[in-house]
Amino acid sequence: MSQAQTSAGHADKADIFCKDEARVDWHSKALWLLRQKRDRAAAAVPEWEELRTLGSEIKLHTLTHLPQYLEQFEANCQKNGIIVHWAKDGDEHNRIVHEILSQHQVKKLVKSKSMLTEECHLNPYLESKGIEVIDTDLGERIIQLNKQPPSHIVVPAIHLKKEEVGQLFHEKIGTEAGASDPTYLTRAARAHLREQFLTADAGMTGVNMGIAEEGAIVVCTNEGNADMGCNLPKLTLHSMGIDKLIPNKAAASVLLRTLARNAIGQLITTYSSFYHGPKPGGEMHIIIVDNGRSEMLQDKLLAESLKCIRCGGCMNTCPVYRRSGGYSYNYFIPGPIGIAVGSKHDDTNTIPWACTLCGSCTYVCPTKVPLHNIIAYQRRLKAEAGKLPYGKAGYMPMVGKVMSSPTLLNCAMSVARFSLRYLPGSLLKPFAGAWGKYRELPKAPASSFEAWYKKNRSK
Amino acid sequence: MSSKAEMLAALKSVALPEHPMPAIEIAPRLDDLIGQYEASLKACGGTLIKDNAMEALQSQVASLVAEGKQVISRVDAVAGNREVPSDPHALKDINYAVISGQLGVAENGSIWVTEDLAGIRIAPFICENLMLVLKAEDVVANMHQALAKISLDNTGFGVFIAGPSKTADIEQALVIGAHGACTLNVYLI
Ligand code: SF4
Repeated sequence: MSQAQTSAGHADKADIFCKDEARVDWHSKALWLLRQKRDRAAAAVPEWEELRTLGSEIKLHTLTHLPQYLEQFEANCQKNGIIVHWAKDGDEHNRIVHEILSQHQVKKLVKSKSMLTEECHLNPYLESKGIEVIDTDLGERIIQLNKQPPSHIVVPAIHLKKEEVGQLFHEKIGTEAGASDPTYLTRAARAHLREQFLTADAGMTGVNMGIAEEGAIVVCTNEGNADMGCNLPKLTLHSMGIDKLIPNKAAASVLLRTLARNAIGQLITTYSSFYHGPKPGGEMHIIIVDNGRSEMLQDKLLAESLKCIRCGGCMNTCPVYRRSGGYSYNYFIPGPIGIAVGSKHDDTNTIPWACTLCGSCTYVCPTKVPLHNIIAYQRRLKAEAGKLPYGKAGYMPMVGKVMSSPTLLNCAMSVARFSLRYLPGSLLKPFAGAWGKYRELPKAPASSFEAWYKKNRSK
Repeated sequence: MSSKAEMLAALKSVALPEHPMPAIEIAPRLDDLIGQYEASLKACGGTLIKDNAMEALQSQVASLVAEGKQVISRVDAVAGNREVPSDPHALKDINYAVISGQLGVAENGSIWVTEDLAGIRIAPFICENLMLVLKAEDVVANMHQALAKISLDNTGFGVFIAGPSKTADIEQALVIGAHGACTLNVYLI
């Protein structure tokens, strides 16, 4: 493996983020605040745990009956006058979108937040074809103007300070120099984006849920940008991963109760919109996308990551994400769920180790995605594929050998106890690597656990 | 083979064991529905008007119209000064929209508004200020009850609206009034 790849691994990128200690503190606190709000919102619903179980079961049921529900969904959409497309992968998705847009001579597309279009790299593709793409969620627009990808799936510009947004807006949309008041900046963005909504030729959104029995999709936003984008132009497009399907309205009622509460502690998003057919005289397209999902379904544990409803709760609670930032993950979805679904695409093979296996993510997940189990499993997959990251690949097999031989282990441990007791820290610290950088070395116990156990317990 | 056929074929085998659809049986919290609704709406940034709500609405709209504000009304008893156009772009200067909601949800303060009630899909979003009229008897306890009650068959679009539009994308500071309406008043009749 080349040094270039390993040098951009999670720990190295996190190192860059960690250089600014004050920012790390601030980032961590901002996200922890969301976690606290989430806890309060969850505690206020007596049937919360029941809703999590239901969410998990609804998703498992749908995932194990996908062909039937997808066909039902398509048939009902068509009955409602919606045009349905199927895309095996991101490339096909992008081609379909471009074809629809060019048929209608679309010059400007307004988009609401969609992780799926990020996954397919739709924006650069359309821009290369001469179509102007405007992201309309405020956070998305900020990072689009800043030429960055999202650093969080729910609050994509969480890594930026208001002064930075103020400077950016001053340069790009002409706000006053030095102004950084969030209300002022939001108002300016509202005016700027309203102009875009009114002049766009088409609107596009992601999909929070597709309801098979109804042939309808649900789109949730707080800002109303999806609805401004879709309800002004005649042409609308919606990209939906196959994992977003649910059987019926009753299933939607469960997920709508947990999504916003778990994301940011809100009772529900301001707008939960059900698009059920084109507007009079309009045209509505849904593109159903696989892009690796059916492959994940072939693995019992990875399949469960498709239960995710993208609330972002697992990121907000993750002690590693909060202190390493969204850009250290080598995948466009960061945090625990990003590791679960993105490890395969991480060519530095480091992101499964961006986790303490504390299990906090699994604990908060509204659909009970077994995140920490999947992450541990991703480590195993990397090891089995001979892709342990630099460093680990060298010593892990040795560790394995030593640990599996009692003689070697005992011998190594007594050397360690001796060294810790008699050698100076400055000599030993380098052996502790990144781990030892911010930690004190432990005090060596008087004897090994084995010896202690023999003496005190083995009667 | 078409992409559809390929995708469906790939989904024929799934490693997970088949899972039944769970029964969704959650007892609604029925005590003080209006009180619950009011608290939830407040948490979402909206305001409930419940004393002589219809008269209050009528007189407010009358004075707004007198001030020259652009008001679109979809409620018979309330007279606005603008009609519903066929081109949604024509509503870009609307200050107030008055629309009836079909039902309200106590647990989260939202109101279900459909395309036919709004007249045109863009109306509740493009207006600066939104005024929704809700009948007290149409308040249900939770989303399970709400979704069981609504039908999507007679509308191409419907939306649960909970408060004015908002964002917290700049340093997590809550700002009311993102792209949709900047205020929401609910008139409970
Ligand atoms: S894995 Fe669970 S907690 Fe994380 S984003 Fe998905 S639904 Fe939310």
